[in-house]
Amino acid sequence: MRAVRRGVSGLPGKGLLAAGLLGGLLFLQTGSMAAAVARPAKMDPAASGTAKKVHIYFSETTLKNGLRVQLAEDHGAPVIALNIAYDVGSRNERKGLTGFAHLFEHLMFKGSKNVGDGEHFYQIFSNGGSMNGTTGADITLYFATLPANQLELALFLEADRMRSLDLTQEKLDNQRHAVQEERRLRVDNQPYGRADEYFGELFYDNFAYKHSTIGSMEDLNAASLEDAADFFQTYYAPNNGVLSLVGDFDSTQALKLIRKYFESIPRQPAPPAVELKEPLQTAERRDTVTDPLARLTQIQIAYKLPAGNTADLPALQVLSSILQGGQSSRLYQSLNKDRELVVDIGGFVDERIGPGGLYIGATLRPDSKPADVESAIYTQIDLLMKAPVAAWELQKAKNTTRLVFLQSIRSVQARATLLGSYTVKFGDPDLINTRLDQFDTVTDDDVQRVARRYLQARNRTVVVTSPIPAGGSAAAALEQPGA
Amino acid sequence: MRCVIPFLLGGSLLMPLLAHTQVPGTQVAERATESIRGVELKGRVPVNPQLLHVSLPTPQEAVLSNGLQVFLLEDHKLPAFSLQFSIHGGGLADPPGRYGVAMMTAAMLQEGTQQHDSREIAKKFATLGASFGAAATPSSMETIINVTGLSENAAAILALAADVVRNPTFPADELEKFRARYLSRLQHLRSLPGFQAREAFMGAVYGEHPGRYVTPPESVLRAVTREELAGYHDAYYRPNNVILVVHGDLTLEELIMRLEKAFGAWQKAESPPVSLPDLSPPGKPGVVLIDRPGSVQTSLWVGSLGIRRDGKDYFPLLVMNHILGGGPASRLFLNLREDKGYTYGVSSLFTGTNFPGVVAAITDVRSEVTAAAIQELMSEIQRIVAEPVSVQELSSAKRALIGGFALSLDAPRALITNVLTQKSYGFPENYWDTFPQQVEAITADDIQRVAGKYYDAERLQLIAVGDGAALRGILAKYGEVQAISGQ
Repeated sequence: MRAVRRGVSGLPGKGLLAAGLLGGLLFLQTGSMAAAVARPAKMDPAASGTAKKVHIYFSETTLKNGLRVQLAEDHGAPVIALNIAYDVGSRNERKGLTGFAHLFEHLMFKGSKNVGDGEHFYQIFSNGGSMNGTTGADITLYFATLPANQLELALFLEADRMRSLDLTQEKLDNQRHAVQEERRLRVDNQPYGRADEYFGELFYDNFAYKHSTIGSMEDLNAASLEDAADFFQTYYAPNNGVLSLVGDFDSTQALKLIRKYFESIPRQPAPPAVELKEPLQTAERRDTVTDPLARLTQIQIAYKLPAGNTADLPALQVLSSILQGGQSSRLYQSLNKDRELVVDIGGFVDERIGPGGLYIGATLRPDSKPADVESAIYTQIDLLMKAPVAAWELQKAKNTTRLVFLQSIRSVQARATLLGSYTVKFGDPDLINTRLDQFDTVTDDDVQRVARRYLQARNRTVVVTSPIPAGGSAAAALEQPGA
Repeated sequence: MRCVIPFLLGGSLLMPLLAHTQVPGTQVAERATESIRGVELKGRVPVNPQLLHVSLPTPQEAVLSNGLQVFLLEDHKLPAFSLQFSIHGGGLADPPGRYGVAMMTAAMLQEGTQQHDSREIAKKFATLGASFGAAATPSSMETIINVTGLSENAAAILALAADVVRNPTFPADELEKFRARYLSRLQHLRSLPGFQAREAFMGAVYGEHPGRYVTPPESVLRAVTREELAGYHDAYYRPNNVILVVHGDLTLEELIMRLEKAFGAWQKAESPPVSLPDLSPPGKPGVVLIDRPGSVQTSLWVGSLGIRRDGKDYFPLLVMNHILGGGPASRLFLNLREDKGYTYGVSSLFTGTNFPGVVAAITDVRSEVTAAAIQELMSEIQRIVAEPVSVQELSSAKRALIGGFALSLDAPRALITNVLTQKSYGFPENYWDTFPQQVEAITADDIQRVAGKYYDAERLQLIAVGDGAALRGILAKYGEVQAISGQ
């Protein structure tokens, strides 16, 4: 284990949060020790403060059974956050069983050898904590935040279900219902819900990412108890998980407890590898969808991108910020403000273990034509290829990214989740300290280069979703309900 | 529009995110061992019986010469800061028939000042590494403005925020653009079942009181003039009418120096008092049906009028609500989701500011179980009205509410809100220190009393959004059905 820097540990109840008494300086801010930050030659003189660096110290160790353990002490508040990240997601599902990784996540809360059905929720929430689980294409996370004196409770609950999950047909059927309601809530009963799901099916060729994480009703109905037992055995093994603990604890004592509860859980054979590669796309893909629940037309566009945490991703993130990040962005200013073609426009870079995408979404004004909106978007994309971005735009992309990142590591829970995610997705928990540096070196040339490389029409997928006007024109004035 | 936060994962959560109340710690009585309906407690989990004693940080205080009250929660962990301005008056200060002026005033702040146009303002905030947002719904008691930013650019960010807050010009062309944007966006909002249900519920509970407005009426959105916005701004955006709470990487000395420079010349003036119309609970049960063709779920709201935030029933209602629907260990969740599998999420809430808020239980269920789900919602409401809660439920709820206070120490937003709550309502300085004792003192009788009062069957309003044909028959047994078009 690497050494962990310890600060003064505050005693709860002794006003440890009085200014200047923040114990456990795991955040080291340095003026003199900070690496010089690369800055563009021309910049807004107002934004001339020197960026302060943040470093998060954590130690890492691997238990005998292969469980990776990450500890980051922070005595700033009397809380602990525990995150268990499992290296499994909907990418690991097989045909006929879409939605299973997420359905299984629900089963993890239904009891184990020493924990009753519903007791997991009950114990966390009745002791001042909060918790949730989440499943994505790449990863499954279980996280809880508790008052610092309930560390053992959190560890016990996680270890007991990793060791001895109690699966029954009744529990499976019960959570199948909950998940099917979740699907209805997010997809089937929401405007554009089905179009979003269909977009993924059109965008990807490889089954791993081609289907949605929520899965189809048919496949959710098909899931059996045997499937659940197999999935648990294969993916919920200590050697397929990462335990990240952040907050107000003593590392030596915490590691002792972690060994006590987790180290005897048997290792399993490594899960089968999943091929995520996509064949090269050579022509634009396009389709239209009609949606009876929608009132306005929506256009979704995405360009295929390489695997996450590779060389071009930081420049693509910067490009996305300049193109569509907030009210200063090119798309907002030109399509929403100047031309008044859209109600909303924006998007993001979807960074995955495998191939990702640069997504752009636009909701149209009632009187806009989809073709006009699309061509206005492509005009802006062409500009990124033709001319270098302005110095202020680079500055904006870096500074807003930094602000969002700082906010995203503020809470102990966010840090625990990020450590586990970076480990599972990219094999590098230290990205929590190095990620921002990748952005600092991006130049206007880089932005232009990645625009030319990835934002070509042949690399694009487009879905236009139109409402079905119900009893007249969708543009008709609305009445105040009840008025 | 999909919204994805960089660095965080998208994905399906195990359960919906629920608001979680946070309170400070104290001792709780020995726990009973009876089991709770819907949970199997094996009793082998190592729970620390002690609740952590924590105290909330005391903010540093200052008042500028023009009366601007400033509270600072100094925290140098990260090189960033947040400011929250709370401007008294909010949407409720709008004249009757013009509910929406305050909302549009807030939304238009960033669209132009004497010094900068809309585009420059957006560009400058982003370049400095800052975000700016202002909001005042028609039923709000204050306009809330949030600014966050990198602390190395604090001086420039504060100067720009001051320009936007103090000197907006409400350009005519930008106002027309805003109007068009917002009216289009409303069409999308009104296609969402949750939004439709909320609007109808507020209408049923509040009648003609402005508490009903989730968004301004369209007639107001279309009619409001520049002069009205400038008039609202002139009347209420005054330093002596503002509470400013700051959190983060600034010292008091630095903050006051910057604020004096940016806001020092802001002229104080007395703001007109806000008078609210009288409000009484609904006189009879109500049932509202909103037909939403194509729905595969029914979105349900059931509830009634609640209390003011400073009402005497706040603490019993806090504990009652927690037991009824305050999270995954609540009766509603364990029954409708974990036991019956009718829904992905179900919860109850209560709100309240300087006028009574609402109490409500909310869920979305697949269409074919609508009748059974309404019956379970109603029977859980009836049960908490008719029978005292068990010793164990009461003690667990108190442990949850009091123990959860530790978590707020890691959440600046919660700390800022707590400071603002204490100041806005004129609560005693030790309000949060005594919060645990107040929670601790609640009895099963108190809970039954407030449940009976606020979830009184004679006042309940039931709103259902979904497949109209099937719903009509189901709803008829709960009262006379008022049908509203979902268009």
